[in-house]
Amino acid sequence: MRRGLATAAVVVALLGVAVGAELRLGRVQRADPLGRELLYLPSPEVLKVVSVGNPGLAADIFYMWSIQYYSLFEPHERFLYLEPVYNLITDLDPLYFDAYRIGALIMQIQTGGDQRQLQETVQRLFDKGLANLPTSWELAEAAAWDMYMRFRDRRQALRYAEVAAARAGAPARIKRMVGVWRDSEKVWTADDSIAYWRQAVEEAVDAYDRKMSLSKLYDAVAARDRETLDPVLGYLREDLGRCPASWDEVVRRGALVSVPLDYVGNPYGIDPERCELVPLKKISDQ
Amino acid sequence: MRAIRAIAANTFREAIRDRILYLFVGFALALVVSTKLFGMLTVGDEAKIVKDIGLASIQFFSMLIAVMMSMLLVSREVDSRTVFIILAKPVRRWQFLVGKYLGLVAIVAANLVFITLVLAVMVLAYTGQWDPMLFFAAAMTLLEMLVLAAFAILFAVLTRPILGSLMTLAVFVVGHTSAELWLLTRQLPGTLTRGLVAVVYYLIPNLERFNFRTEVVHGLPIPPAAVGWAVVYAIAFAAVALVLAALRFRSKDLR
Repeated sequence: MRRGLATAAVVVALLGVAVGAELRLGRVQRADPLGRELLYLPSPEVLKVVSVGNPGLAADIFYMWSIQYYSLFEPHERFLYLEPVYNLITDLDPLYFDAYRIGALIMQIQTGGDQRQLQETVQRLFDKGLANLPTSWELAEAAAWDMYMRFRDRRQALRYAEVAAARAGAPARIKRMVGVWRDSEKVWTADDSIAYWRQAVEEAVDAYDRKMSLSKLYDAVAARDRETLDPVLGYLREDLGRCPASWDEVVRRGALVSVPLDYVGNPYGIDPERCELVPLKKISDQ
Repeated sequence: MRAIRAIAANTFREAIRDRILYLFVGFALALVVSTKLFGMLTVGDEAKIVKDIGLASIQFFSMLIAVMMSMLLVSREVDSRTVFIILAKPVRRWQFLVGKYLGLVAIVAANLVFITLVLAVMVLAYTGQWDPMLFFAAAMTLLEMLVLAAFAILFAVLTRPILGSLMTLAVFVVGHTSAELWLLTRQLPGTLTRGLVAVVYYLIPNLERFNFRTEVVHGLPIPPAAVGWAVVYAIAFAAVALVLAALRFRSKDLR
């Protein structure tokens, strides 16, 4: 009994020494000029061999490590290694959606440095993901919003939104998002916009989608009408020295043959201060 | 056939009482159950991590069971001289080996079913979805073990247990990387060199042929031909190893 207790005491004491030594070792400052933690990032080829048929597991391990390693949200040069880290993970498991999505999110934490370069890095990761996950509209939508919200790059946002909208199973809201962004970026003509929204109304998947698409179709038609009618109002203001009070007056003065009607057949209004066409937009679902 | 069945049943009973088996099964279960902890370390799809770790554990521990048990089961019989008692009966040497092999495969299969069931329940608990494809992945792992256990029996007959274990482990590692040899044949100059490397490739079992874990984890389609030919490949390779083992065992001096 006494012997057993003595043995246990020795074991506990030795464990205490080991733990104490480990604690002390943790406090010792050592030179790390090359960033030892990330110095040996193995190649995916090597890891595939080492994982003996489990590259997905190797990807998981690196992914979990990256989540822990990069979860301290402070600018640091270690973020420079993010692209190789996530390239490694996605080379090991090219179908790993989270690695693309979360990798891009972590990359975007950096607020300093060359933001243009950072955006290109994020885009490279997204593009790789979109190539490897050809059915994922979710990743393309995430890329679109990241470009829009984080980098304020609406052209790239639109590009990714178009990719998302073109993929099977993409919800109607993404298709509407594409139309809205194309309108706001003015990358198409008014007629293109009308044709797009008309098709969206025809292909609406539910009442809400139809209502929203109809609203956008109304706006597209009004935008086209504005392009032709605002110059007429401008001409009359120059001529009269004031803005016409109504479209009836415009017709009376011979500038138009009839009162212009909006998409649903109601007359437009006129903003007297800016002397511009005002759509009244009273849409009832037809 | 009766002799083989009796030896297989006896091997199964013997193996199931072995403490080393419970050690491996215990580790595998601990790893499968602890997958939730790993899942907590991630952001996103926890189920992927749970399945990846679970299926890798199943493969790894099945390999350990197949390698260690096959070595122990054969060498124990020889070392304890019980093999003479068995062979004194109307049992041929090859029947003894095949019986041992089938008993071993049965124990590996039983463990595979048990651990996979635990993994499936874990996945059900985390995701609320029953994933029968996990059992498919486990079945394909069993095919891999079929080949590996046959090699383990061959090495158990050829050499000492420790060396045999190491050689079987080498087959496991090389078997998972042999596809690189095939790639090498495209890079090498000269028809003869390429032919030699191709021969080496065909002599080593390509264990990646039984690896459907990526398809199962990501829910990808699995070509039936890949499964069907994998079954043929496993049976053929295991048979080759067993025939070689039987040939060596026939003339082996057991004293």
